[in-house]
Amino acid sequence: MSKKTYAIAIRDVIAQEMRRDENVFIMGEDIEILGGIFGCTRDLYKEFGTERVRNTPISEAGFIGAGLGAACAGMRPIVELMYMDFTLVAMDQIINQVAKTRYIFGGRAKIPLVIRGQQGIGRGNAATHSQSMETIFMHFPGLKVACPSTPQDAAGLLRTAIRDDNPVMFFEHKALYADKGEVNDDPEFMLPFGKADIKREGTDVTIVANLLYVKRALEAAKELESIGISAEVIDPMTLVPFDKETVVNSVKKTGRLVVVHEAHRNAGWGAEVAAMVTEEAFRYLDAPPLRLGALACPLPFALNLENAATPQVADIVQAARQVCYR
Amino acid sequence: MAHKIIMPKQGLQMTEGYIAQWLKAEGDMVKLGEPLFEIETDKLTITIDSTAEGKLLKIVRPEGDTVPITEVIAYIGEEGEVIEDIQAPSLPADVSVKEVESPKESRRLSEPIPVLAQAGVKYATPRAKMRAQERGFPIESVDATGPDGLIIERDVLAYKPVAASPLARKLAGLGGISLDGVEGSGARGKVMAPDVRQALAAPSADDTSDCLETVIPMDGMRRGIASTMSGSLSATAQANHSMLVDMSECVRLRERMKKAEIKISFNDIIILCAARALKEHPQVNAVRQEDSIVQKHYVNVGMAVATPRGLLVPVIMDTDKKSLREIAGITAALAERTKKGTITPDELTQGTFTVTNLGMLGVDKFVAILNPPESGILAVGAIKKQPVVLEDDSIAVRPMMWITLTYDHCVIDGAPAASFLGRIKELLEDPILLL
Repeated sequence: MSKKTYAIAIRDVIAQEMRRDENVFIMGEDIEILGGIFGCTRDLYKEFGTERVRNTPISEAGFIGAGLGAACAGMRPIVELMYMDFTLVAMDQIINQVAKTRYIFGGRAKIPLVIRGQQGIGRGNAATHSQSMETIFMHFPGLKVACPSTPQDAAGLLRTAIRDDNPVMFFEHKALYADKGEVNDDPEFMLPFGKADIKREGTDVTIVANLLYVKRALEAAKELESIGISAEVIDPMTLVPFDKETVVNSVKKTGRLVVVHEAHRNAGWGAEVAAMVTEEAFRYLDAPPLRLGALACPLPFALNLENAATPQVADIVQAARQVCYR
Repeated sequence: MAHKIIMPKQGLQMTEGYIAQWLKAEGDMVKLGEPLFEIETDKLTITIDSTAEGKLLKIVRPEGDTVPITEVIAYIGEEGEVIEDIQAPSLPADVSVKEVESPKESRRLSEPIPVLAQAGVKYATPRAKMRAQERGFPIESVDATGPDGLIIERDVLAYKPVAASPLARKLAGLGGISLDGVEGSGARGKVMAPDVRQALAAPSADDTSDCLETVIPMDGMRRGIASTMSGSLSATAQANHSMLVDMSECVRLRERMKKAEIKISFNDIIILCAARALKEHPQVNAVRQEDSIVQKHYVNVGMAVATPRGLLVPVIMDTDKKSLREIAGITAALAERTKKGTITPDELTQGTFTVTNLGMLGVDKFVAILNPPESGILAVGAIKKQPVVLEDDSIAVRPMMWITLTYDHCVIDGAPAASFLGRIKELLEDPILLL
């Protein structure tokens, strides 16, 4: 174990995997000498050379398509996007090609491709550089969707993603890169997909959150504890596959559900979880499941407005109190 | 022109309705089908949904008014619309919307309207129901603290059910007292009937105050009962016959049914016997209408059910054509829905005869008042073991029961009434004749 940031945890796993398997390589914008804008590939070119740590032109459709081709040909590419918002430039490649190739070829083509990058609020990057994209990729079958909320989770999930023979959308959060935590340095340390992590146990309300909002949900849980409400905080870790069992069992215990995410509340993945729980655990519910998410407006540039448009700790506390009727 | 909201006719015999509550205020927006007001007829409280969409421009008849059916009680229309031809007796005919709107502050649409609790229906979350089921008590007995009178898990967990015998529960319900404060003398503190009687007899804490009396305004249902009962006595010539019935065979029948796991009550058997006797005595199965007597060709026996708010008589349609088992099923369902308040007005009318039974409450024999427009009512007392002199002059102990017929002498004479009552006795003493 060693203490490192979320960004360095990611860089170290990429390095370890590139050492282990010569088919693993990474490409993206400004990842060579600059090391990516958040340093997730810093100095990797020195060890592995610019053949395996490749800069690309500013053409997401082009280099995601190249990643798919390389994966089909037996490589294990990691494609870094500077902002996950830019997946929108390459939607045909991702949704129509990457997600469907294995299926169309009857499972005979393996696509061990990881598309990773950062997203989200926290830096006032405005409407086109602050979005949360994971819900869209949860909708289309054929992609796995991982969302680590801590350095340790980032390391464990990324290694699982690189070794998976299916395409994985790997969502990092810009406001988490500087967070430090204990990380398992074992080059075989992996966290399984489809296994949620109960970040905090509780008995009165289940709060499901991902990425930045795991931290905020834990803060809210602390405040709730001071007024006598015991909150259980669950990080699903991967949205695809989704660990329904852990969430449903938790709600059976607590009887109340709040889902909070940074993705827009309208048709966000929280709605899917709320519906899933209502279907599976209706008779256990003591209150309608609540969803919190960004307002249905483009994310503002000004930080104070960004805060106003996204759920704050106080909002999570309020929602939990509401479902507890307190 | 603004849409008129009228006092609706709910059930065949309704002639007027008492406006118990407006669920919207003047100035509120109302959707089609949204609950608008509550009325109390002489039998029920009913929530009436809006028949129009728009702004509630004017409430013509306020809460507490008794209004004949089809009379206008409110107007719904578009903002700024002028209401013409207002029918309210106390208002000038040219009331414009502006005048109507200004004095009242309109309620916000989202403001929760406490309809649920008042309608006597209880709502609970799925989890609360599950918890109550686990603990084995009815969710209806739990007090709600959730929004809009919703019973939530916490309420169920906080609820301590009182163990009580069925009779104790019934007595407490009729006496309008909660079992919570009654000390039980049964096993493990179970509340028994004598405990409730004692509690009902004991002076309550309120008696220590200076107040010497309590004034309870008569609500729609109470007023309905009052006018029906006094009207019954003044409009008919009520006469009575009583007979003592040997219930040995009925007791045997019921026990054999019980062994076959078929649940029937004595009252079910009595209702069926009465229905069969009515079919054979059409002159009793009749109503008086001005100068004629209308004999009904169908037999609908009503059964008197005591509810906390007063007496109701739900009706079993075509009683004579039903089997004992069918009647048992119907009476159980009717009794439950009557107590819950989910019975419909039509199920409370159209009766041709009534059976009322106070045996469970220990009454040996009593005389009932006719339930208009019916011409007969059978009052049933308790079944009690008594020494009886048999035909061979020997004395035996038999379960005996008094039945008393009240009939309208305007419609039926004494002899046919006696023959009718005798037939009921005959059927009860040998229920095999029902086959």
